[in-house]
Amino acid sequence: MTKARTTPSQAPEDESGLDRRGFLKGAAAAGAATAAAMTAATQIAQAAEAKPAQPEGEANMRGNAFVSRPGSDFMVDVIKSIGIDYISANPASSFRSLHESIVNYGGNKKPEFLTCMHEESSVAMAHGYAKAAGKPMAVLCHSSVGLQHASMAVYNAWVDRAPILMFAGNGVDAAKRRPGVEWTLCVQDPAALVRDFVKWDDQPGSLQHFAESTVRAYKMMMSPPQDPVLITLDIDLQEEPIHGEKLSIPKLSLSAPPQADARALREAAKMLVAAQNPVIVADRCVRSQEGVDALVKLAETLQCPVICNGSRMNFPSTHYLNLSESRPGLIRNADVILMLEVQDPFGTLHSMGDPWKDVRRAAKPDVKVIHITLADFLMKSNYQDFQRFQPVDLPISGDAQTSIAPLTEEVKRGLSSARAAELAGKADATKKRYRDMQERTKTAAALGWDASPVSTARLSAELWNAIRNENYCLAVSDRVAWPKRLWPTTKYHNMMGGSGAAGVGYSAPGAVGVALANRDKGILTVTLQPDGDMCYAPGVLWTAAHHKIPLLIVMFNNRGYVQEVMHLQRMAGLHRRDPKTAKVGTMIYDPEVDFAKLAQSFGVWGEGPISDPDKVGPALERGLKIVKGGAPALVDVVCQLR
Amino acid sequence: MRIAVAVVGALCAGAVLAQDAPKGSAERGKKLFVDLNCYSCHGTHGQGGGRGSEPPIPLGYPWAGFLQQLRKPRLDMPAYEEKLVSAQEVADLFAYFSSIKAAPAAKDIAKLRTF
Repeated sequence: MTKARTTPSQAPEDESGLDRRGFLKGAAAAGAATAAAMTAATQIAQAAEAKPAQPEGEANMRGNAFVSRPGSDFMVDVIKSIGIDYISANPASSFRSLHESIVNYGGNKKPEFLTCMHEESSVAMAHGYAKAAGKPMAVLCHSSVGLQHASMAVYNAWVDRAPILMFAGNGVDAAKRRPGVEWTLCVQDPAALVRDFVKWDDQPGSLQHFAESTVRAYKMMMSPPQDPVLITLDIDLQEEPIHGEKLSIPKLSLSAPPQADARALREAAKMLVAAQNPVIVADRCVRSQEGVDALVKLAETLQCPVICNGSRMNFPSTHYLNLSESRPGLIRNADVILMLEVQDPFGTLHSMGDPWKDVRRAAKPDVKVIHITLADFLMKSNYQDFQRFQPVDLPISGDAQTSIAPLTEEVKRGLSSARAAELAGKADATKKRYRDMQERTKTAAALGWDASPVSTARLSAELWNAIRNENYCLAVSDRVAWPKRLWPTTKYHNMMGGSGAAGVGYSAPGAVGVALANRDKGILTVTLQPDGDMCYAPGVLWTAAHHKIPLLIVMFNNRGYVQEVMHLQRMAGLHRRDPKTAKVGTMIYDPEVDFAKLAQSFGVWGEGPISDPDKVGPALERGLKIVKGGAPALVDVVCQLR
Repeated sequence: MRIAVAVVGALCAGAVLAQDAPKGSAERGKKLFVDLNCYSCHGTHGQGGGRGSEPPIPLGYPWAGFLQQLRKPRLDMPAYEEKLVSAQEVADLFAYFSSIKAAPAAKDIAKLRTF
């Protein structure tokens, strides 16, 4: 490290508020020393090398040194070495040096700086991106106000098991902080704010420490269960020049996901083979198409119905074994239930009345439950996303996706030819059950078909018909129930689940993040966007326009926080008071938000509001043309409340 | 599905047919349906919302079952007591429901045939 900065009272500040005089002396030797370090044998394998620092050749008019090789340049080397393609941020002084290094030193490519208008948007974009891309992006924010803004989105990602590489700028050395704002923005322990819902955090004290902790963080984050991590960026570490430190970047090698114990899988296979009415419930199980394909093989081998909870697209809706719509009957009649990374086993086997909280058993008392999950490996105390404790007959710790194929092999080994034939004989009945289920769903979708405001089933059908010949992705697939019920899904990327923790404000930025990942893959992205969610941080529309992220946003505009209307109704009923007041504080009208104009103001093509169901389809076609041209578009549809 | 079971139960209990219901105004009932926020779960046409907790109200719902479910609902629906919703208002609501025309069948809707 260089010597300390002088205080403002000792020397005049340049515009940045920094005195660089002390940098000259140490900088001269820095290049050679760093270069030597890069050729020296280190105990750590090299995936990438830091470029040697350049001598500081010139001083500015005040005699202060220029810094041609700041620490933040090395940070960019580290970030590039682990393959980060995008880094989202609302600009902030605590990471100004890294920001500049990303753009000028790094060429603003891999990572590219994505300009965001709210840290919650930055993180939610990264959340959606991670699920769609299968890899993380990075986020920059202030360690205080920025991280405070970001924290709800981090919690969403935590619950949804989405990896995000978070960096928070902070000034550790109080003697070097500029008076005033820089003090209010600095924190003694930045990660304390989010430590309950990140997998790991660190506050590196040197550039080498930064390299090692960043690579460590990436490795830990990507080992299932995947979750966000946080590295603090010290301001001085970023801004001061690289000196004679022996800098190296550790090689990134990802761990193989933890497969479940073979004996436990054998026992599970025995139970499944012997079961008369087994059911598979898949929640945050699958991370890729490989996982979908593996689950199909397991289900087909057992001729076992699958219930997909919708957190991920675990199982094709076109497959006759996907009987998600018949959940209550399947759970009620099951003798063995295989849960795959199910967040709420208790809620799978029970329901609870509201407001009297009477517990109702949904499954047989003697049903045998197998659960493959890594939940026990990453559980913290404060936040209660782990749900009510549910004893299971055969709990198996392991990564569900990785464990499906070996479980299938065990099932095959345990199947006699007679039993296999018996199971195969169930297929016709299951196919009929599937077809009947589909017909019931379509019948239900027809109800209110011509209603105005537009029914959510009609909206979903109109959107499907607009995209049905495309390689599509529904970026947020849990806000409107109908796409999951109606749309044919065959690929992992068709539906990307939801926020995880039900933190409102995820849908819009999450969808932009998904669309960003899909842009690079050539997948058309659409989303059904709740109006209340859009109002949290609509600036993400500008981000989508600015970075040319193609996304068709179809407003599910019910002009209210309707879930809360229902809660208010319930409370009014419980308290024997007027239910008409449930709109107070819950509905968004008088005035009504004009989302098309909102979109247009951010540079996004917008049309609406549309209340006539017959006008929805043509508007969607117009929006799609814009999206196929590489830009975002928004169609505002005024909908039924649910 | 739980709600559907409740609805079926109420239908079975409702031996009294629509013509036995007190006379109500469909127009007033339509407004009440919105004012009372019934539409937040059930939709303006009784179509429901797509999730189990937002059930449709079947056309042809019998008066007795309708009244029973409103006053002393099964499962999680809030109760609408007489001091909050008068007998006449219930009749208006019922008249509105009785006036809703059946939706076209799914097989007759081109955009549903694509699924």
